Amino acid sequence: MLSRVAENLFWMNRYLERAENVARLLGIELDLELDAGGRSGESGSSPVEIALNVLACRTEFVVSHGPADRTADLEFLTFDRGNMQSILSMIARARENARGTQESIGVDAWRQANRLYLYLCSSKARRRFHSSPSSFYTTIKDSCILFDGMIQNTLPRDEVYHFLQLGRFLERVDVMGRILHAKCQDSMATESGTGGSEPGIESVRWTGLLRSCSAYGAYLRSERDRVDPLSVIRFLVLDPDFPRAVRFCVARCRESLREIVGGDDDEVAIEAERLLGRLESELRYIDVGEIFERGLLPFLDGIQSICRRVGQEIQRTFFLV
Amino acid sequence: MQTNSAPDDGLYGGYVLEPYDEMFEAAGRPRPHYRDLHERLAGLGPQELERRHRLADLSMRQQGITFTVYGREQGVERIIPFDPVPRLLDAREWSRIECGLEQRVRALNLFIADVYRDRKILHDRVVPPELVYGASGYRRQCVGLHAPRDVYIHVSGIDLIRDADGRFLVLEDNCRTPSGVSYVLKNRQVMKQVFPLLFGQHDIRPVDDYTDNLLALLRWIAPEGCDDPAVVVLTPGVHNSAYYEHSFLARQMGVELVEGRDLVFDRGQIFRRTTRGLQRVDVIYRRVDDDFLDPMTFRKDSMLGVPGLIGAYHAGNIGLANSLGTGVADDKGIYPFVPDIIHYYLGEDPILENVETFRPLVPSHRQHILANLESLVVKAVDASGGYGMLIGPASTREQREEFARKIQDNPRGYIAQPTIRLSRHPTFIDGRLDGRHIDLRPFVLYGETITVLPGGLTRVALPRGSLVVNSSQGGGTKDTWVLGGASDA
Repeated sequence: MLSRVAENLFWMNRYLERAENVARLLGIELDLELDAGGRSGESGSSPVEIALNVLACRTEFVVSHGPADRTADLEFLTFDRGNMQSILSMIARARENARGTQESIGVDAWRQANRLYLYLCSSKARRRFHSSPSSFYTTIKDSCILFDGMIQNTLPRDEVYHFLQLGRFLERVDVMGRILHAKCQDSMATESGTGGSEPGIESVRWTGLLRSCSAYGAYLRSERDRVDPLSVIRFLVLDPDFPRAVRFCVARCRESLREIVGGDDDEVAIEAERLLGRLESELRYIDVGEIFERGLLPFLDGIQSICRRVGQEIQRTFFLV
Repeated sequence: MQTNSAPDDGLYGGYVLEPYDEMFEAAGRPRPHYRDLHERLAGLGPQELERRHRLADLSMRQQGITFTVYGREQGVERIIPFDPVPRLLDAREWSRIECGLEQRVRALNLFIADVYRDRKILHDRVVPPELVYGASGYRRQCVGLHAPRDVYIHVSGIDLIRDADGRFLVLEDNCRTPSGVSYVLKNRQVMKQVFPLLFGQHDIRPVDDYTDNLLALLRWIAPEGCDDPAVVVLTPGVHNSAYYEHSFLARQMGVELVEGRDLVFDRGQIFRRTTRGLQRVDVIYRRVDDDFLDPMTFRKDSMLGVPGLIGAYHAGNIGLANSLGTGVADDKGIYPFVPDIIHYYLGEDPILENVETFRPLVPSHRQHILANLESLVVKAVDASGGYGMLIGPASTREQREEFARKIQDNPRGYIAQPTIRLSRHPTFIDGRLDGRHIDLRPFVLYGETITVLPGGLTRVALPRGSLVVNSSQGGGTKDTWVLGGASDA
């Protein structure tokens, strides 16, 4: 496959995955905020704050923004073309990449990416955003998932598919790390600050984390236990079967990379594969207690830094021919 | 001028008949091959037509069947307006057009081969050498060039119009990188999706084998000894106005779409940069103009090309469609001589005639042009796409004075033709049918044999009275049906 096409595919899915996660996060957080009633100040960061942390675009935000206004904040995160990390900007880039690779991803997937972009640019989207933000974000999230559905059900499992998978799951590891980081930092800060908040709030917060990752139902079926921090982290980081758990995503990355590189199983041909393999086995054998002993935040930082290195290695190996 | 029927009479109400009308031979009387369509349209009615028309637009927009308009902001994507009323050509008429196109392209191809090698036609003074050497499409770098299998114009689009007497005339040849064929194929697809009813009992020649034929042609021009050639489509990139077409053709042929930066020249060969290293390319269907193809041979500032590509072509290591320097054959200054070119190489009378053309270089012509600017169309020989034109009847005094000056300063730079009333076709405008001027661009493939895609792209000038069909100037398109022999009997 052409290096340029491979690079386009890889980034297209990274952008879409990121956009999907931000949409999911905002949809859920806005909804949770309603539950928490007037106590949002007490129960941690606002949805906008969390999204800014996840997207690492707090600086741009401060620069381009005056006093806080909820709708303006959300518009900045959603429709602002000047903000490279807004949902619209990311979908626009993904769509541009899709346009440049139509002959690889096929007409169905291209049409879906195009449709999503045209919808975001339409006045219909604006109206929906203003009348019901939470359901607007759900629509965006679902459209992203539909795109992936097209990919899963129309493409042969060849190089094209595996570069797409690699982009999607590497981004998911990255975003999951950021979401956990943002939400857990919050929880820990309030715990130590106020000497433990009331159990009701505590449980709402961890449930919220699970819901921001579309993981609540799966968690309940798997853990059959009340929601407590240790089990939530175990589930979201170490579960081998849940598709948004870090371990699951790392395994998918490694598999796709293996398919792309070819060769036999015992040999590690490229650095990116070695990094992913090591991370995968660590996530497989580590105990959740140990994560907390080492400190959750440093542990998450470690995962982030491996993600970055894997991205750089992929760039070097495949795209700069 | 006559009115077809009372103004309140549904779809055809108030339809104004003007010669030549493609559908009607007389008021209320459709030509035989249009009868069935005429009835089915009436049965559908204005509202249903409107609703389905919108569906067709939406489908094109979602599929991204767009072109980029330059000049305003920085490149706006637009769909080409699609008119739901198809244009029909009966079998007998089409077979004459087909023969005429084949003849014309064969002769133009011989002309190119001659101009860059033996120059017999120039020695025999059939075409003035200064017009050839001065043509903007002439490339001196091609002198001595021998294209594989002597084919230069693999893909061409010849623009035809029908005049008030119903005769088809050639308006313009496009022998470089003509575009529009993807719209022919897509229009048919969308038509089937949205207006299955209109197809009815018609026996319509299919168009979707075009890409198979194109691929066969491209494989045929591969360098010798290449059993399974790697074919690619070369595009200037996603910002080019015809990008959709490039991508569509690559997809339909199942080959890679590459940009100049994806290719690299190494020791006489062309390679593409892949995730598994460099891999060889054997045939390039290039949609990049000569000038931008290879900065080592042509424009040095080109970022779109591949340094060394022309060297690889000269060495016979790569197949290229179309070949180089083919623009000399579609130059507007050469156009008046095409009938002579056909005579010269084939010893035949042209089947399809040219539009009468005046050349300011000839003193008597110049006088005629300057005296009749109001009724003529003046074209700059090195412009296309409806730019650089004066349409006499629609011009202002200032514009005519400006062109008179230009013609006197640079007589070689212009040609003039009588303003032809292009034929008209019922077109869906504001909830009813109204006559609009149309032309036809058929596509010709020159490989082992010459094949003409049945029909081609019918372009329609949507503004009332307009004669300019170019999409950059508000033109739309129609699906074009060539009817099989059966419906004629």
